[in-house]
Amino acid sequence: MAGRSANGRHGLRGHAGRTAALARLLHKDCIQLLELYRNSESLPSSPVDGDYLVSIPPLVPQLSDEEKISILHAALKECLRLLEDVITREDAEFSDEDSEYKRKRKTVRDRLGHLLASTEQLLVDGQKFEAKVKEELDGQAASGSFGLKMWIVRVLQDLVHWTGQTSDTLHSMPAEMEKAPKTMSRRTRRGAGKIRK
Amino acid sequence: HPQLNTCLLLSLCNVTGLGEPRGLTLNPDLPAQTLSLAWQSDSTLFDLEIFHTEFMNVVLNVIQADPVTGLHSWTWHSPLPLECTSHSVRIRARNQQSVSQWSPLQTIPGWDIPEKSYMFPEDKMIPVGSNMTFCCIVNEKEDFKEIKYGRQEMKATRLSRRSYAITVTNQPASDNTGTNVICSSQKFQMLTGTVVFVGYPPGDEGLVCETRDLASAECSWKKGRDTHLRIKQSLTNYTLNGRDCLEANERKTWCSSKMWEENWTLEARNPLGTVQLTDSAQLTDRGIHLLAPVNVAAVKVEAWSATLQWSWSVAAYKKLEMVCQLRLFAHELSSTRNYDGPGLSSVVLEGLWPDVDYTVTLRCGSKHSFWKWGDESAPYRIHTKMDRPDALDVWMWMDSSNTGHVFWKPLSVRKSHGALNGYEVSQSSAEEDGRNTVSLPPGNFSYPILLNNSSDVTVAVAARNPAGLSQPSTVTTPAYRADSQLSVSELLGTNGSFVLSWEPNVSASSGYVVEWFPTGCTGLCPIDWKKLPESDRSFTVNSDSLVAGVRYTVSVYSLYTSAPTLLQRWQGYSQEMIPSQSVSELSLNQTGSDVLLSWKATEMKQQRGFIRGYTIYLASAAHLDLIANITDPAVQSYRVKGLTLSSYKFVVKAYTSAGEDAGATVAIKMEMDTDMLFVGILVPLGIMFCCIILFSIFFYKKREWVKKAFYPEIPGPKVSGDWSSPRGPLDVKPSPHSLVHIVKNPEWDFTKEGLFPVPEEEEESENDNMEVDTDSDEPALLRYYNQVVGDGSHSNQVSDSSASSTASMGSTQTEITYAGIQSPSSSQGAYSGGGYRPQMQSVTGPAEPQIEFEADFQDDGLNAGYKPQCSWQLDSPEAENFSGSLGSPTSVTSSQFLIPESSEEKPQPSNTWFHNFLSGKS
Repeated sequence: MAGRSANGRHGLRGHAGRTAALARLLHKDCIQLLELYRNSESLPSSPVDGDYLVSIPPLVPQLSDEEKISILHAALKECLRLLEDVITREDAEFSDEDSEYKRKRKTVRDRLGHLLASTEQLLVDGQKFEAKVKEELDGQAASGSFGLKMWIVRVLQDLVHWTGQTSDTLHSMPAEMEKAPKTMSRRTRRGAGKIRK
Repeated sequence: HPQLNTCLLLSLCNVTGLGEPRGLTLNPDLPAQTLSLAWQSDSTLFDLEIFHTEFMNVVLNVIQADPVTGLHSWTWHSPLPLECTSHSVRIRARNQQSVSQWSPLQTIPGWDIPEKSYMFPEDKMIPVGSNMTFCCIVNEKEDFKEIKYGRQEMKATRLSRRSYAITVTNQPASDNTGTNVICSSQKFQMLTGTVVFVGYPPGDEGLVCETRDLASAECSWKKGRDTHLRIKQSLTNYTLNGRDCLEANERKTWCSSKMWEENWTLEARNPLGTVQLTDSAQLTDRGIHLLAPVNVAAVKVEAWSATLQWSWSVAAYKKLEMVCQLRLFAHELSSTRNYDGPGLSSVVLEGLWPDVDYTVTLRCGSKHSFWKWGDESAPYRIHTKMDRPDALDVWMWMDSSNTGHVFWKPLSVRKSHGALNGYEVSQSSAEEDGRNTVSLPPGNFSYPILLNNSSDVTVAVAARNPAGLSQPSTVTTPAYRADSQLSVSELLGTNGSFVLSWEPNVSASSGYVVEWFPTGCTGLCPIDWKKLPESDRSFTVNSDSLVAGVRYTVSVYSLYTSAPTLLQRWQGYSQEMIPSQSVSELSLNQTGSDVLLSWKATEMKQQRGFIRGYTIYLASAAHLDLIANITDPAVQSYRVKGLTLSSYKFVVKAYTSAGEDAGATVAIKMEMDTDMLFVGILVPLGIMFCCIILFSIFFYKKREWVKKAFYPEIPGPKVSGDWSSPRGPLDVKPSPHSLVHIVKNPEWDFTKEGLFPVPEEEEESENDNMEVDTDSDEPALLRYYNQVVGDGSHSNQVSDSSASSTASMGSTQTEITYAGIQSPSSSQGAYSGGGYRPQMQSVTGPAEPQIEFEADFQDDGLNAGYKPQCSWQLDSPEAENFSGSLGSPTSVTSSQFLIPESSEEKPQPSNTWFHNFLSGKS
């Protein structure tokens, strides 16, 4: 998470700035959520082996900021779906007693929804990206309660990863992006990206 | 050592003809961790061996007896999940010492063959305290590291190349989502894992079923201990008489049934066990838990009663023999009343108080086989009507022979029966017809009474409220008895109260009245009283109505038809305190060496207790010394005797049983008696005067002796030859005299003036002298003295005076010393106009030349010049020693020169009055 400053490298303002701040806040929430879950389950702090459940096209430098945001938005969307699956499975399997973990889980779900709505306004019109999810590893496929718990950990790890990626990307965006119209030509946007790099 | 074991077993084998068991089949039950074996054989006794296939560890070696049937089977419960590793089984027949060949090994494969990681058993639910073995199968290319049970690292044993096991004993209850058992490799901290749910079977108890409506049933119970099983599939499931209990499955502890059954069974079940709770009762025996009455209302409310009605929501209640409990809540008037009857729906509440707000609640239960009170109705408010007030408690107090007050006590809420409108006071006497009635507002509790004549007056007082007038209370004026007119007894308080007792009085047909009020009170006093029945002989005035430190007059009256009669009277303090004020008018009067202290006692209000006496202290700077303790409070003076002339301070303190007051202080400075003062002065004076006269007479008579003793006759000088001169005028050439000039000599010491004797004849050569003087210094002055001594004939007077003056040259007192020399002569000079007079002026003979000299000086003295003394012995050795006094003031020494030290060496004819007196000359 190095390089994430309080206000971003370029001092984002307006909607993009608020979105970046929300992404950073959500990223912290996700880290806390994963920590709470590990503590409650007495699980080691090291990450569960394996790739991320959600996968997206590589964020190569040639992509514009808007394209990156669009791709990350797709990843976050899948993360939200996975989180809602987690909530459903947990509530179905275990008792619905209140806990700090469950309160934080709700906070993350709500803020993730807000972040998705907020990033959607930054997307390029007409461009749609989709993220893939390794369905064979979801909670339905895992065996036993321990498999379910490991799946939950992996979903939470994905949440930490993709919210972190989104936060980094939003904070690395130039301040001018806020002023740029959504119909800005791709070349212009790429040019701006090259200048920034 | 399976091979060795096999060989040993094989060595026992013989060829006895026992047939080898055939058709051995293995049937594992993985969740139950059991392995069922079946085989065929003609024998009835078998050896059985089970191995962990990979390492050929024997895990079971038994001799299995079998019944007579030809089909043989046996079930083995494995402590290890069968998935953990492959198990192999073989069997042989046995007949005493002979055994058959082993059957071929039958193997069930474990999960350590596929190339993946596993952990077993999965999601087991076991009771708290159980032991369990877990195994971890690591996949290929992974190195096993450890297995953790929760956070606890466990010691693992190896089952096969890829399988490791731990055994956990006495497992504690799990947390919410079970206990995680995690297997880690060198590469991954969470290679694989499993969850075990450790908890308790249901612990519910105390099933009780009841009916609310005489038809349906409602069963409740108490929840037992926490099962610690949180996963949904392990939650406790409840059934009542075989029917699902929907309420309990929603975490409630009651269950309903539409029909009453005599026997009830509640079954609570979870994966760890089942508990059955039963209850059995007939509906009539068990009773009914009635629902709350509805529509509660008061249909008739009076001052002292009310009628309450209600209805029931269940029609079956109307025939039920029931008992109902009413609870009345009011300020200090709460009560509980029970009523019974079939289908009770109304009651009359008796014994209420007028004008009181009551809140009523109602609950009922079945009268027969009472089970419990039903639900309570909602509170209902009743306000009773007002009624006439109770009669007042009246007393009359006379503060003079024809004036007094009638008092009455305010009525309490329970006696006023409604807010009072006022009081009516009517007065009547035997000599007057009719009554004078006065209405007073409700705040009044007394009324003044005036007696016109000697007949008794009867006063009647009644209270009025909206419901009417109370019964009048009458009182007849008692005879006036002022405090001072009666011999009162002293009354001591007991714990702040007065405990009274009196002799019975036969005339007290209507009882007694105890009355108490602050002593000395006049006018509208805070009179308090208590009416007692005639049987009473004692009474205690409680401390609530008494104030500590206040003197009370307590009286007992006997009551009968006419006026009350005073029986006994006391005065006392409920609790004595130290006086709040010191004695007043403290004064003292000195008589010779005695002092009479006198004072007055403080007023009774400030005494705050009976004065038991006075203490008198002599106050010093640091403390008080008790000099007297007067135990008779009537004595209010004290004489302190034998005081010396000094200052004294006395402190007088009055004391009660509670202690002394702060004390009053008075001070005195003892003075001598005037007569004695005169005597003391005049007597010594008279004695002294007499002594002087006696001494004078004595000395006059013995003046010859005194003269001889103190002033012997000085013989005249004896001169050889005839030095007598004829009588006549003596021509004496006046000797030159010296003059003293004060000359400033700046070169020597410009701050002082030098004295220079200047012979008269040298005045003309003054300039020469001045030159010498100019060069002169302090040594030159000394030299002047030497010159004086050495040249005594030159000027005796000068040498004398200059010696005096220069003796002080070394001192800054030079001028003062000079004046000192002059002072003796100045006193004489008062007779001669301030001039200096040498003492030898009247001496005849050698001193005669100086008569003229003195005359000259007298002339000079008129000019206020310096007049040197005439040296009485120019050549005396002392003159040479004058230089020895240089540097010190010599004024005293100079005066000594005026007194002759020895009359023998220098006869000095005396011509003073004392000399004449002694010599008898006039």
